[in-house]
Amino acid sequence: MNREKIGTITDLMKSRLTKPMQYYLDLCTRCGLCYDSCHVYYGIPKREYTPVGRAETLRRIFRKYFRPSGRFFPYWGEARELDDRAMEEVREAAFSCTGCRRCMVNCPFGIDTGYLMTMAKLMLIGNETAPEELVILADSAVEKGKSIGEFKEGFKSVVGDLEKIVQEKLGRSSPDGLIPMDNGGASVLYAGLAGAHSIVNPAVIFNAAGESWSLSFFEAVNFGAFLGDPEKMQFIANRIVKEAIQLGVKELVITECGTAYRIQRHMLGTLPFKVSSIVEVIDRYLREGRIKVKAGAISEPVTYHDPCQLGRNGGVFEEPRRIIGELCTDFREMTPNREHNWCCGGGGGLVALDNEKFRVQSGLVKRDQISATGAKLVVTACENCVSQLDTIKSGYGMDVEVKYLTELVADNLLL
Amino acid sequence: MLDLFAYIVMVPMVYLAFILFVAGMVWKLVRVFRSPSITGTLGLFPRELPRPLAVARDAFLVPSAFRKDRVFWVFIVAFHAAVLFLILGHCELVWNIPALQVIPHRVFLGAGSVGMVMMIGTLYFLFRRFGAPVREISVPEDYFLLIILFLSILFGSILHLVDRLGIGAMHVPVQAYREYFAGLLTLNPRLPVMVSYSPHYAVMVIHIFFSNLFIMLFPFSKMIHAVFAFFAYSTARR
Repeated sequence: MNREKIGTITDLMKSRLTKPMQYYLDLCTRCGLCYDSCHVYYGIPKREYTPVGRAETLRRIFRKYFRPSGRFFPYWGEARELDDRAMEEVREAAFSCTGCRRCMVNCPFGIDTGYLMTMAKLMLIGNETAPEELVILADSAVEKGKSIGEFKEGFKSVVGDLEKIVQEKLGRSSPDGLIPMDNGGASVLYAGLAGAHSIVNPAVIFNAAGESWSLSFFEAVNFGAFLGDPEKMQFIANRIVKEAIQLGVKELVITECGTAYRIQRHMLGTLPFKVSSIVEVIDRYLREGRIKVKAGAISEPVTYHDPCQLGRNGGVFEEPRRIIGELCTDFREMTPNREHNWCCGGGGGLVALDNEKFRVQSGLVKRDQISATGAKLVVTACENCVSQLDTIKSGYGMDVEVKYLTELVADNLLL
Repeated sequence: MLDLFAYIVMVPMVYLAFILFVAGMVWKLVRVFRSPSITGTLGLFPRELPRPLAVARDAFLVPSAFRKDRVFWVFIVAFHAAVLFLILGHCELVWNIPALQVIPHRVFLGAGSVGMVMMIGTLYFLFRRFGAPVREISVPEDYFLLIILFLSILFGSILHLVDRLGIGAMHVPVQAYREYFAGLLTLNPRLPVMVSYSPHYAVMVIHIFFSNLFIMLFPFSKMIHAVFAFFAYSTARR
């Protein structure tokens, strides 16, 4: 690795030296308490898949270039120089981490390894070894944000087709206006995903509740965050913020995407509108009596997977349980659950990568958790989680069905 | 020659350790405070307690360790509680603190138990690193710090226990320590005869040597967790 490349990478590291990064990089005592708190380590018990193993991969390079001990006495903390092999290890550390932050709960200091990995991901961008898939997805999302005019008409015609499905589900006489867009004066701006299910099911629910809403032109998913590019992350998040401000909505509702919810709700600071998850909104509609569901419609055993970004990193724990409680007669909690829940292994953009074998292996603990409940239906509220749970299901040949919470609600509405 | 070594350890090295400690801590803190803040929060959920209480719970009860490893947790809590007593005990060697004599005791606090707990704790922390999986993540710094800490506590405990138990009629009066520290504090360093001619002297020099070394390394090693841990708790509970 030449000096120029090393300079590029260390400059990028420097750019990520925020307050928390400074103390997270220095304070680990390597006590080992986090060792087995990563789902990947459960499935593939190797040091590099432990939270401390991942963090030390980064810290050893960091010490070499940013700490006197690493410069003058590299053996003291096993500081290491940047080279291709080190960067391979950085990639393995960063893109085997879903950013679920379960290790943060199990660290006696609360070190956020997921946050440390954002520095590792940025180093990979500098080294031009970031996963190609994520680079393309992030770039195309940014491109769409820059030239939305070109995309609007095409998107509107696709949505027109979806309105017919919504019409059928709602039993309405006309599909017109069932998925409003550019709806100035709406109370709610809803940001969905590319998949039709993320628009159709919420549209059914919004219409049933008589909500004044508007569908965002943008996908909520933030490939900039998955890639670890802070500028692209900000751009992708802010295009939705701008749209919400333009329309003058009171609330931005995020689809079943944990990362999108966490970023819009918790990572952008104070915004002039409220940010909610669709799960919170459904729970609110139910409590206010704006929608009604077929109580106890599902009698088979059901379990709920807490998406990490929605639960421990987002604070939405009880709402999905209340909703499922209305619909299902045999709800079974996974052990552990809520903030201690195991990650499924799909977050951090990992489901977008060509790594299915790895994800099946790292999903072992989730397989065990689901099997232990005896549930036949696994409900969750995150696109990445559903994709990964399906991978686990087929990888281990499990006899379960995986469903979105919105789908469960939309299919069981009392209209 | 030995006298010179002893003097260097007892006076210039103490100043050097103090300067490095203060300058290092200030430097570390300034660097954190001058770094950019983040937008939003890195906090965890649920938020059951108000932030200061949650931080206090995380710092003093270490719930994550309690959940994961009860034996380790007992050692963590006992060791860190002993550190508090150790600091108070040393303060009494520097100043007369009447408030601490609410429960009348002979200096040092704890009648030797503080050093014992810390020695056993340090050995536990050290031996833990000899086995998998902690061995795989340990680096020389981890062993080195624990070894010098153990040696410092060992010689400090010998100093105290031999005196307390009157073994070999070895005794250094508290007043002699206070005179020594007063000299250091007023930049008029002197080695009272009761210290430098005491049969304890060699043990004391070794104790202070390892303590100096530990204090010097404090800001530049993982020992910084003593301060940074509170920043991290505060971030996690925001």
